[in-house]
Amino acid sequence: MPYLKDERPATMMVEGDWQVGAYRYKAPRLLEEFSAGMKEKKIIGSMCMGCGKVITQPRNICGRCHRRMEGRRVLSDWGTITCFVTSPPVEKGRYKIFGMDPVDTGTLKLGEILIPVFVRFDGSDSNINCLLLNAKPEEVFIGMRVKAVWAKELKGAMSDLEGVEPIREK
Amino acid sequence: MDKRVAIIGCAQSHHQYDVQKTREDLVFDVAKEALANAGILREELGTVVTASTDFLDGRTISNVFLSMAVGAFLKDESKVEEDGATALQYALMKLLAGAYDVALVEAHTVGWQFNPHQVSFYTIDPLVDRQVGLLNDISAAAIQARIYMDKYGVSQEDLAAVAVKNLSNAASNPFASRRLPDVSVSEVLKSKLYYEPLRELMISPVTDGCAVVILASEDKVRKLGCCCPVWIEGVGNCQDAYLRDRNLLGMDSLKKASASAFAMAGIQDPFNDLDVLEISERYAHEELMICEALGLAREGRGKELVNKGVTSMCGELPVNPSGGALGADPICATGLVRVVECVKQIRGEADGHQVGSVKRALAHGQFGICAQKNTVVILGGE
Amino acid sequence: MFRNCAIIGCGQTKHSSRRRDVSVAELVGQAVDAALLDAGITMKDVGCVVSGNMQGFGGVAQPDLWIGDWMGIPGKPAIRIATGGTTGGSVGQGACYTVASGMYDISLGVAWEKHSDSKEAGATTGLMHVGMGNLFHALTYGLSLKNLIATTAVGAAAGVAVYQARFYMNRSGCRQEHLDMVAAKARRNAAKNPYAHLQWPNCQPSDIAKTELIAFPFRYGHVCPASDGASAIVVAEEKTARKLCKQPAWFLGMGSYSDEENQLQSENYGGVGVIDPSEQMGCRVSAQKAYAMAGITDPQKEIDLAEIYQPFPSQELIFSERLGLFDDGTAWRHMEKGETDINGRMPISVSGGVNATNAIGSSALQRILEAALQVQGKAGEHQVPKKVRKAVAHGWGGVTNYITVTVLGNSPR
Repeated sequence: MPYLKDERPATMMVEGDWQVGAYRYKAPRLLEEFSAGMKEKKIIGSMCMGCGKVITQPRNICGRCHRRMEGRRVLSDWGTITCFVTSPPVEKGRYKIFGMDPVDTGTLKLGEILIPVFVRFDGSDSNINCLLLNAKPEEVFIGMRVKAVWAKELKGAMSDLEGVEPIREK
Repeated sequence: MDKRVAIIGCAQSHHQYDVQKTREDLVFDVAKEALANAGILREELGTVVTASTDFLDGRTISNVFLSMAVGAFLKDESKVEEDGATALQYALMKLLAGAYDVALVEAHTVGWQFNPHQVSFYTIDPLVDRQVGLLNDISAAAIQARIYMDKYGVSQEDLAAVAVKNLSNAASNPFASRRLPDVSVSEVLKSKLYYEPLRELMISPVTDGCAVVILASEDKVRKLGCCCPVWIEGVGNCQDAYLRDRNLLGMDSLKKASASAFAMAGIQDPFNDLDVLEISERYAHEELMICEALGLAREGRGKELVNKGVTSMCGELPVNPSGGALGADPICATGLVRVVECVKQIRGEADGHQVGSVKRALAHGQFGICAQKNTVVILGGE
Repeated sequence: MFRNCAIIGCGQTKHSSRRRDVSVAELVGQAVDAALLDAGITMKDVGCVVSGNMQGFGGVAQPDLWIGDWMGIPGKPAIRIATGGTTGGSVGQGACYTVASGMYDISLGVAWEKHSDSKEAGATTGLMHVGMGNLFHALTYGLSLKNLIATTAVGAAAGVAVYQARFYMNRSGCRQEHLDMVAAKARRNAAKNPYAHLQWPNCQPSDIAKTELIAFPFRYGHVCPASDGASAIVVAEEKTARKLCKQPAWFLGMGSYSDEENQLQSENYGGVGVIDPSEQMGCRVSAQKAYAMAGITDPQKEIDLAEIYQPFPSQELIFSERLGLFDDGTAWRHMEKGETDINGRMPISVSGGVNATNAIGSSALQRILEAALQVQGKAGEHQVPKKVRKAVAHGWGGVTNYITVTVLGNSPR
């Protein structure tokens, strides 16, 4: 097995760069409708007129039917948790986004426990991925009923849907 | 080949610099059109082979979000990361192996997204050549043009003549992007200088575009009752060594690729056996070199074909009646667009640039700096 | 139908997190030379070269143009096939198709990845860019940064596999300790494989259970490494294969069906119609096609060994069910009983699998290669004791929607 031993001395390193930031991506205007709906506390999904599937966030093309999803439906803002993940308590240096530490920038609090969930809002055939708020990690279960939590100030952006919270008996 | 495979449908987009559509819409529309052209439903498809590259599309796994648009939901799917003509060869091989009987081949690039010339720069050896920073696809092509011109006494006017021929041909092709019906040699020679001797109008334009071709095996063609199948009679593929290690003068890989294709198709005299050629000439001098490598002219005499009008639209052996890559160059799709154009010529459907009755055509696709890789496809009517 | 072809030679390099002793060209050259040596042929005999890797990691576009010499490409037909995580599987199938079509008699399939060439932590650069366009799009519409971090970074190394594992655990009753068992088995098996990356000779589930939690149910001990490595196979048509090789590994069936995106988004941050990413319809259909081509009607009885692409232990369980090797929801029970061990009834990933060695571009080809070694009886210390008549090699990738399934056997169709 001549290639199993590292017989040769280390190679030298040559630096190079791959600039991905210079791209201009083309995008449809689908998310515009979705964000505009956010301002009115509406969750909008696109519907395929061939198979009747409703997808949110809206998507352009139905793969099964090979046609554009031209229909639009407003979904209920009540839904069911189909999956969840709990993070360990947030520490500094654990997450990095665009080269910055979110604890430093104040996006996350030290010791916070994040619970990202998949929520299937009633009427939808897809999941939305968002955060579960106002709940303890121990009480989450698959099948839990939740409702949307809207931002106090609605801007017409995806952040208007802050997350979901459990539906509690009053 | 004892088994036969035919092209039963094809479609291309209207190529332009900014096609004002997302990748998904671009691919979807052309795929839908091709399926309609073939007269089949998506359900008939067995396998899908796409061609696009990650660097050009700006996404790792450039085909992953396009599978639905191209019609590959729950279909066998794969991707070739180079020219569409090679994707055609791969799909052909899947059908010849008998694994499937209908294939969809798609190729696209959105040149507006990220300058393809910059991507070519990233194909260059990162250890030495990229550090030196002098080589890129245009400067390398200019070096090749200079070597060719010096060896055989080819002038700038000869290069400009190729550009004039193709750009005015492109004007009759509704799908091309750079259409200049009355361009002159002096105009070409006055256009912006990139690297001596290459000027803007001698270099293919950066374009957005997509092409889709549907293949079917012989039995399936009969079963579907397709009118006008165009048979793939031969295919050849070859790749040269890296840019600085190869002979830039000779287009060796194209000679080998065309030799395989001609052998498969039983062609011994390409000049007389073929009725039209659609070749991918990213630079004007490449058309001259390609014609020589294909055996249409002796070494260094490619310019006679253009100057004597042999390869013009009404000449003995028209080359690039659609305008070729100089008319529209959606990088990965260019070779497949050449295939689509040949199919239209054979079917008599090339509105505006039909060259009379065509029985046999040659389509050529290339990839890599100075045409490092070449794929040749020979197509024939019934 | 299908001209018979077989793998007659395999070559791979030692995998480690930083192969600093070779450049990427030399790494590929090592694998190619080893494969040619194993097959008993020279580069002159090769008719066509099919190659692939994920170009994002190496920062070189179309690397086969640059390092083609090291794969013997100049002057030969060459095709570059790259499909993300399944690249290796697509390359292997591509090499088979070039020969099965009748166009070439001997083909070389090469796949590689050199993660250490990328400055950022191994696999992050290239993987982030799968969804890059979509992320920028969503950010333009005001997706909150907190939401972005929480949904993509929690389980960052694991990506969507965390959710996939959760779905599987919920519907089948599998527990976290079963994932510990699978990961321990992978590292124990890898210790018998001289080319593998994470080798841990007596790894026990309790060793894995001691590692830190990333996000339930995944621990650091469960996650695959990012390796530098290359693998190559030589595929030949029937006559040549019989002449050159005592026991070729025959290609019996292949499938590569793609499903709708299983991950959270489609192009431009749209949703997807797949609720449960552990459903893997694409895998079921690919396996159906591959088994039909191979003439297999009862995979549970007819398949002797499986090499499953399992960067995460939950995927070994999920995909073994989708490949028809166990009934739905029962894979973890069979694994618990030891049936998937090297000397078990249905050995799975006896090479250690992707969980122990992950050079992304080449991993799926390695699964085909390892299955071939088992069929040929050449796997050395990690050779299963029983005779391998039919083996299945699997790969997944894309946004969990790409699958390759290849069935190899010890006699032709």
